Amino acid sequence: MAQNVSYLGMIPLLPLIGAAVVGILHLATCKKKRLPDQLYAVLACSTPILTFVLAVKVFFDLNGLPVDGRALTHEVFTWFEVGEMNISMGFLADPLSSLMLLFVTFTASLIHIYSIGYMAGDESFAKFFAYLNLFLGSMLILVLGNGPVVMFVGWEGVGLCSYLLISYYSEDRSNVLAGNKAFIVNRIGDFGFVLGMAFLFWAIGDSGFDYISLKTNAHMLAPATVTLVCLLLFVGATGKSAQIPLYVWLPDAMAGPTPVSALIHAATMVTAGVYMVARFSFLYVHVPTVGLIVAWTGILTALVSAIYGMFQNDIKKVLAYSTVSQLGYMFAGVGLAAYSAGIFHVFTHAFFKALLFLGAGSVIYALHHEQNIWKMGGLKTKLPLTYKTMLIGSLALAGCPPFSGFFSKDEILYSALASGHTGIWVVGVLVAGMTAYYTFRMIFVVFHGSPRDAHAYEHAHEPPAVMTVPLVILAIGALFAGFLNLPSLFGGSQQVTHWLAPSLAEHAHEASHSIEIIAIAASVAAFAIGIFIAYRKFGKGAEEPVYSGFSSFAYHTFRINELYDVLFVRPYKAIGSAIGNLIDAHVTDGPVQLIVWFYRQFGSTFKLLQVGYVRVYAIYMIIGLSVMSYLLTQSFK
Amino acid sequence: MLSQWLFYAFATVSVLGALGLILSRHPMNGALWFVVTLVSLAGLYSLLSASLLFALQLIVYAGAIMSLIIFIIMFLNIQPADIPDEKGKWAYLLGGCLAVIPIGLLLLKIVSSLPEGDVDIVGNGFGQVKSVGLVLFRDWLLPFEIVSILLLVALVGAVVLAGKKEMTQ
Amino acid sequence: MIHDYLSLSILLFCLGILGVISRRNVFTVFMSVELMLNAANLAFIALARLHENMDGHVLAMLVMAVAAAEAALALAVVILLHKHTGKVDTNVFSLLKG
Repeated sequence: MAQNVSYLGMIPLLPLIGAAVVGILHLATCKKKRLPDQLYAVLACSTPILTFVLAVKVFFDLNGLPVDGRALTHEVFTWFEVGEMNISMGFLADPLSSLMLLFVTFTASLIHIYSIGYMAGDESFAKFFAYLNLFLGSMLILVLGNGPVVMFVGWEGVGLCSYLLISYYSEDRSNVLAGNKAFIVNRIGDFGFVLGMAFLFWAIGDSGFDYISLKTNAHMLAPATVTLVCLLLFVGATGKSAQIPLYVWLPDAMAGPTPVSALIHAATMVTAGVYMVARFSFLYVHVPTVGLIVAWTGILTALVSAIYGMFQNDIKKVLAYSTVSQLGYMFAGVGLAAYSAGIFHVFTHAFFKALLFLGAGSVIYALHHEQNIWKMGGLKTKLPLTYKTMLIGSLALAGCPPFSGFFSKDEILYSALASGHTGIWVVGVLVAGMTAYYTFRMIFVVFHGSPRDAHAYEHAHEPPAVMTVPLVILAIGALFAGFLNLPSLFGGSQQVTHWLAPSLAEHAHEASHSIEIIAIAASVAAFAIGIFIAYRKFGKGAEEPVYSGFSSFAYHTFRINELYDVLFVRPYKAIGSAIGNLIDAHVTDGPVQLIVWFYRQFGSTFKLLQVGYVRVYAIYMIIGLSVMSYLLTQSFK
Repeated sequence: MLSQWLFYAFATVSVLGALGLILSRHPMNGALWFVVTLVSLAGLYSLLSASLLFALQLIVYAGAIMSLIIFIIMFLNIQPADIPDEKGKWAYLLGGCLAVIPIGLLLLKIVSSLPEGDVDIVGNGFGQVKSVGLVLFRDWLLPFEIVSILLLVALVGAVVLAGKKEMTQ
Repeated sequence: MIHDYLSLSILLFCLGILGVISRRNVFTVFMSVELMLNAANLAFIALARLHENMDGHVLAMLVMAVAAAEAALALAVVILLHKHTGKVDTNVFSLLKG
């Protein structure tokens, strides 16, 4: 069955070694003479490239195996063994994880290279790369883990790196707060994940707790347990992948450096939730109700964040809400049991969203860390390469045929329509139109029209090749990645779906080509309307709008942060301070204080005896002697 | 019979002297009362055939030690204001009696378990210089030497202590 | 008859204790200690008579020597304390430090 290959363990290990080496070198030298940044750059960029090579090797090794036996495993060591729980630090590469592995290492390599340019001259250049490598190692553990526990290690590792990198510019307090927010919101999700794992273990964990055993034993689960486990795991996914109600951290996470936003908060980490649901497809497929909850949560998140995205001023915030929105699509896909469609959207999204973020990074870099789109404008002539690549990314994001986003998004919408969930489909098409609108609003405002800030415009220049080459490569990916899963309507053979099939418990929705054509027509129409409105409003230059009424409400993201503050944060703080002031001070400390009081009283009672007068001590002695004499006299009969 | 009467006389005088010592307010009065006790004790020693001790009690105790104490009391020139104002003296004395009585009773009980003996004067040199000296220098030579060292140390110590100009703060 | 001597010794000893614990005058306390020593001496000599053994006499002599040493030292200390505070009250010396 599963083939044991020893190089699998090397894949997560390499970036971790890189992180350790770079981190230790940085720690050892940052106080003294700094080592050249080039050394760190070479060290840090070599590991993702090496892992990419290994990922390609994994892909071809899997490809050489028969379809039913496409799984490579490697158990490095037994991690712990408690009673019936026997967890080994083992890795599993099957079609699903190999796909994830390919694009994660690919985008990570490009973003590492891009960062060399973007972070050049930064004071703690090496620290950044150490974190980035650490993130990659954690992400690969997440993807390659052979069971939920190993996955959880990676899950927490990427959460940690996300926190570290969001707070990277830690001189600014708001960045630190954003990092805290991301971490705390993720903890809420992680709590659900842990509970889900615990229930799963409680139910069938005693006969092996890796995916293969779980898949074999899944039929032994009671339906209620499956529902519970799936819901709890989905809570974990909403935290990591920024879905309602836990999406609030992702826009704030844009405080980190732009390559971090591209790698962690667009391409890889945030898709971990989708990956997890697809991983547990053998459970989710048995509970369509939970699937429906997942799908509706996803599509509503897509809708809400698309609305937010239409009214943002910060270029990175626009992209952040767009990411949340696209993640919503992915959940809609996996919720409707179209796992391959969801994963395929993860795959294409990684290309075009990383591209958009890196492009935005180039713009920000060119304008010396200006992020407000209303201070840009007309950059088309100054940054031609960035413009072209970002245009490709935007077309892919907006779902213009034949760019990659079109195929993957369309597949999800088609699944919704084919499986009879018309409501989800309608919302999905609406969101597609909104996506086209806000994407091109950004493109038009940033690159077209006349410059709004003449000074910044004059000094803008195309970034160095180390930054533009990754853009070009990603643009090629964004252009052509869609063809990997070309549906039969266009004469394709859905290679990705077939590749993923052994990993996923998917049942394809059979529908006529006419429905598929309706779906495509609707998406294209939505895209066209969206881009048309955007052109009408912003195509020929526009001034910064004054938000009022609904748009102000949407600009402030429906005041969700304030609502959460009132609903959760403040009550929680109040409870905390109540416990701190009342329970801790009086109940918990009570016995302690009582003991202290007792000893103090005891001491001050005895202090009365210790008067310091020699005569009094003599009196004590005589009293003692006298009592002894009395007792001796009594016994002296 | 005479020795019995003498015993009672000396006993009464010594107890009176002791009472005078512990009750008198001024140390000078107390010291003089104490001399009375010491002298009557010397009489009791002689009734117990301890002629050497009788002499030593008079010469060393009532003579040397007491004259030293009296000398110091007079040397310090204690004024009435310097004497501590002992308000609760009688309460302390009463309480002290209560505390001391069990000790005395125990000791009395022990004494009553000892054999009784008479106190007629013993002949053949008992308690005289020669025989006590023989015992001292034969059986008690080492303690004797140790005491001599003790006295030397005390002498040096007294000189050092009393010779200090001021106590170091 | 010996019992009478020993009882007298006990009585004097108890009076000595009484003097030590109930008086505050340094000299009175000191002489009360001397009184206790003399009571012990009386017991030594009475018992020496009882057993017709002169070890008791030797012990009494040693006690006298110790008393003399004690007197020398104690009086030196009293002089020092008097120099320091001008008082002969034991309660003045209640701080257990210089």
